[in-house]
Amino acid sequence: MTQAPTQPGAVLTKPPFLRAPEASRTILLVIFACACLPLAAGVFFFGWRVIILTAISVATCVGVESIYYRLTRQPALRRRTHAALMGLLLALTLPPFVPWYVPLAGGVIAIVIGKAIFGGVGHFLWQPALVGRLAVVVLFAPPLWSVVELTRPAWPVLAVNRVITGDIANVRPAERYVSWRDTQATGSNDAFELPTPRKILRELTTDQARPPESIGEQLAKLPSAWDIIVGAYGGGIGETCSLAILCAGLYLIYRNYVNGYLSGMMILAAAVTAAVAPVRTAAGDFRWLPLLIEGSDVGFLYVVYQVLAGELLLSAFFLAPEMTSRPVTAPAQGIFGLLCGGLGMLLALYTSIPIPFYAAVLACNTLTPVLDGIRPRVLGQRRWWQKKS
Amino acid sequence: MPRRRFGTFSGGINLPAEKDATLDAAIAPWPVQELRIPLCPLPAAQAQPVVAPGDKVKPGQLLARTDDPQQVNVYAPLAGVVGDFTDVLVPDDFFGWRSSRAIVLKDLQPASQPNRPDFDWEHADAAELLERLREGHLLLCSGPFDNVSRWLESAIESAADTLICNVMENAPLVTADHRLLAERGGDVVRGLAILAKALSVAHTMLAVDSQRTGAYRSAARLAGALKIDTIALAPKYPIEAQAMLTQVLTRRQVVPGRSTLSVRVAMVDAATCAAAYQWAALGLRQTHRVVTMAGRGVKSPGNYLIPFGTDAAWLLAQACESEPPLRVHGSPMNGRELAVGAVVGPRTNALLGMEDSYAGPPTPCIRCGWCSDNCPARLNVAALNDDFELAHLDGAKARCVTACVGCGICTYLCPARLPLMSRCQQLRQMILREAKAATP
Repeated sequence: MTQAPTQPGAVLTKPPFLRAPEASRTILLVIFACACLPLAAGVFFFGWRVIILTAISVATCVGVESIYYRLTRQPALRRRTHAALMGLLLALTLPPFVPWYVPLAGGVIAIVIGKAIFGGVGHFLWQPALVGRLAVVVLFAPPLWSVVELTRPAWPVLAVNRVITGDIANVRPAERYVSWRDTQATGSNDAFELPTPRKILRELTTDQARPPESIGEQLAKLPSAWDIIVGAYGGGIGETCSLAILCAGLYLIYRNYVNGYLSGMMILAAAVTAAVAPVRTAAGDFRWLPLLIEGSDVGFLYVVYQVLAGELLLSAFFLAPEMTSRPVTAPAQGIFGLLCGGLGMLLALYTSIPIPFYAAVLACNTLTPVLDGIRPRVLGQRRWWQKKS
Repeated sequence: MPRRRFGTFSGGINLPAEKDATLDAAIAPWPVQELRIPLCPLPAAQAQPVVAPGDKVKPGQLLARTDDPQQVNVYAPLAGVVGDFTDVLVPDDFFGWRSSRAIVLKDLQPASQPNRPDFDWEHADAAELLERLREGHLLLCSGPFDNVSRWLESAIESAADTLICNVMENAPLVTADHRLLAERGGDVVRGLAILAKALSVAHTMLAVDSQRTGAYRSAARLAGALKIDTIALAPKYPIEAQAMLTQVLTRRQVVPGRSTLSVRVAMVDAATCAAAYQWAALGLRQTHRVVTMAGRGVKSPGNYLIPFGTDAAWLLAQACESEPPLRVHGSPMNGRELAVGAVVGPRTNALLGMEDSYAGPPTPCIRCGWCSDNCPARLNVAALNDDFELAHLDGAKARCVTACVGCGICTYLCPARLPLMSRCQQLRQMILREAKAATP
């Protein structure tokens, strides 16, 4: 979209007569470019199908946005750039093995229900990409549409010798979680599948029949730290590669497009919740402070795995800081991040919601108008204990 | 230079200074052919002319007289012949212009006012100085639209204990006050001492930009001798705003919607101080202003001594090679777009030729929050923009929009190109007008 040409003297009739060069579109394009980094990691580990899913998602969002505003004859509000960004973010949250109509349905709902009926950018309450993601979870839940699997007992990753070019649908279950670098695909199978780290960690906090031996035992079943950092484990398209998300997120913070307090508070709150919230011991009872139960080294590893494995980082750097659906003032953003991180970690630990952090972000988006009331004291304004003169 | 430590304020940004072209340009005269001197420089009853068309006048001669204490007498800046009466535009509150009758002065001769050092300011007491300044009919060159003697009276009434001369001048392009202090620092500092003596304040401060203290050495030495603290501060924009400088120097926060006098701080600029000295000590009328002419397309950027009543558009056209897309009167951050018929007056610190290529049409707010993050008054500007769009005046009042200092950072940063500052200022004006109407 090109902006309408300005006529000399027609626009700047009020001061200031200088403007910073960054426009809304620049912001959206830079975030889009940064979100392509986790996408690239997704393409690397989950193959060419990811490109198709992302293209469908982006094209759906852009197309639906154009059609909606053509039909309702409303001026589109920062339309296609923002719609494309929402499409990309939606794709990053989806599992890599879903069929083509899942991003299509998600994109339509994200734009129509998440964004357009509220009046477009600057007006919607919930992050549209997550509205689409939540709708997909509900729509394709087993009793409703049992053909499609949005979540599986084991999720696939391409083998080392089939990265990028492999087909994620040709999958072979692996017996145990070995280091990804040692995987070799043979024959027609490109990928192997294993339980997600989240599922393994979840066994520590569910009330199932046989309690785990210890936290250390459970951590030994998880992929290696290297796999977790580069993203070589089963998960959403853009969720797995911590390195890519961190690099892109820190750049966004440097550009001031993401408030570092929000992301930092969200990760901090999640880490503290994981360190404190009770886990099950071999005896079957719940004990507080898993950070210290089996020594601080095991506890530290446990917290790091809880933070890195899963969708927390993607939520903290790309989804929660979405500008319209987060609060505006800096202190409110910090509180928003705290709530998102704490609630998300609790959902991840004690519920079976497939998208705990996304659900937490959506829930906290609902509180945004309330949180917006938290703001610093205006210059010269009376404090509450100072009398009116 | 600084001996005490001073704080800072939250928000604010570092603007590109863009002052290189004029920073070291000495104050120079500019030949003019015709003056149109406003009879109504302040928003009060018009001064009555005491000259008739065809009269020859000398520099500093009385042109129009008034009995209204809110208005000032009008004096001739140069020698010339009185022509017809006409209408001109002078700056008014809230970025606007106000029409005023004016005397045309033609056939100008390059003559200057003779010095008449008939008043010993160093040995005069406060009452004598006040009387002398009242006779001077001086205008304030920044701050409220008022004359100096009325401003002094209100400062005495509010028991001001601190007088600050504000030479921060950190808006881009403008260097008029900087040159004035660098070249005529003696006039500025002595003028500040005169005003301090008339007000009988306990503390007098001269606040300057820490990047440019080298140019102010002689002024600082004189200030030390006159018991004036010279304070160099880091140039984070908008420290030049009166409320911000007051907070930094005195740790007092100005009551929203009121001037710095509400916290017993009187603030003047360098040009007013220089005019006060030149009148009180030398008997010279305030008839000229140092004006910075700079910006894109200005072929001879510099600081020029311009007589009041010079046509501003003509002056800028003389200085430019071609018509600039945007002509600005005053600072680029909170000045006015130059109107046809506007003349140089005490508030013309700059005439700038500018591009408006940065701006696009306003688009909806995307709630990036940069306006609120960087607001020096810590206003929630995004919410105030909603209040403006919904005409929700009570909401704006609850958010204390009257604390807006009018620095323009919100509009400068806004990626949606919304005119946030002018919206906040409109809300502020409406609330202040309502409050004024409510008080008997």
